[in-house]
Amino acid sequence: MNAHGGGRTGGQPGSRDTSAYLESLSRELKGVGIAGARQKRIVAEFADHLECDPNAELGDAAMIARTFADELGTAWARRAAIRAFAALAVAGLLFAAWGLLAARYYGGGRLAGSAAAQLVLGFGVVAGQVAFVSGGLGLLRAIRLRRQAVVSADEARVLVRRAGVGLFAGALTLLAVPVVASGAPGSAHPAWRTFGYVVCAVGVVTIVLAAPSVLASARVAPRAAGEAGDLFSDLGPLVPRWLVAAPWGFAVVIATALAMMLAASGALASDPYDGILRGLAEGTAVLAGFALLGGYLGLRTGHHSS
Amino acid sequence: MNAEELKGHLDSLILSVLSSRPMHGYAVIEELRSRSGGRLALPEGTVYPALHRLESGGLLSSAWSDGGRRRRVYSLTRAGQRELRARRSGWREFRTTIEAVLA
Repeated sequence: MNAHGGGRTGGQPGSRDTSAYLESLSRELKGVGIAGARQKRIVAEFADHLECDPNAELGDAAMIARTFADELGTAWARRAAIRAFAALAVAGLLFAAWGLLAARYYGGGRLAGSAAAQLVLGFGVVAGQVAFVSGGLGLLRAIRLRRQAVVSADEARVLVRRAGVGLFAGALTLLAVPVVASGAPGSAHPAWRTFGYVVCAVGVVTIVLAAPSVLASARVAPRAAGEAGDLFSDLGPLVPRWLVAAPWGFAVVIATALAMMLAASGALASDPYDGILRGLAEGTAVLAGFALLGGYLGLRTGHHSS
Repeated sequence: MNAEELKGHLDSLILSVLSSRPMHGYAVIEELRSRSGGRLALPEGTVYPALHRLESGGLLSSAWSDGGRRRRVYSLTRAGQRELRARRSGWREFRTTIEAVLA
């Protein structure tokens, strides 16, 4: 066994042994998605260690690279989820402020513009909810796993996906804002219109700033074994016992509750027909979102491993 | 003490060692060995991933040393100091409880 624990035989390691070990480590790190400055830094630290003690037992290069991938993959995935949520919170607050101000400054009348503009607005509304759910559940899982040095590769993957989908959907929502601001009737307050452009710009910049941490964690390939859990492991006691282990049942309950809320708000606004239509659209969107993204985002088990 | 027994304590040990002064990776391992009287059979290569992870978690910071050989030197952040205090307190409580049962 050589001094670096790399599985080679021989006596005292020479410089050729050391450089072969470091080259192997560099290659293995790249193989698990740790490249660039981080890869160079790790190799430099190991080189320094071997210079201090040429007989050091550092371990097999492939095993070391896997350990880095598991540990950094965990830390980075958690960080990505937290940063994504923080960015979405800023964007969401701006969006909410702009939406609330619309009640006073929109000026009444229908949204002008083409059917495409209406479609963009519709997508924006749905995307906003996807961003909220995905980013919020990503944060919940990051908090739940905060004490773990290493989580399973599936857990890390779910965290990164929730962060990524949250940011992407958040960006789509923000892009709908200038479409609405520019398509608003002439009676809309100019300052409200301008605020819409500012909300879009600031929100998108915030999201772009959070994106590198998601991309960095998506590049790492951890391999730690274990299952990722599902929606119920995130929400825990918040879910009634009779719904636990029935993800579709839970989705139907949420969709129905939201649909009823919108129908009720329509009735309160003396437009029950519009409320029912909105409620039906909302409920359908929730179920469609759950069908499309539920497995990918780890809301239900069995579909979230790669 | 083998590596398996150390699992779960490695972070606390690293934070504690670095609370005395900033150190590079090799010095951290040497300090762990010295403080434990050589009883910690630590696979040396596993300390570096833990250092990087703790840094990513905001508990450590690091920088290349200025003088002499170019080395990555780690130091405890404020969050790291708080975490170490919490871990020490948790460990004392755990030890007291176990001792009370074993005694």
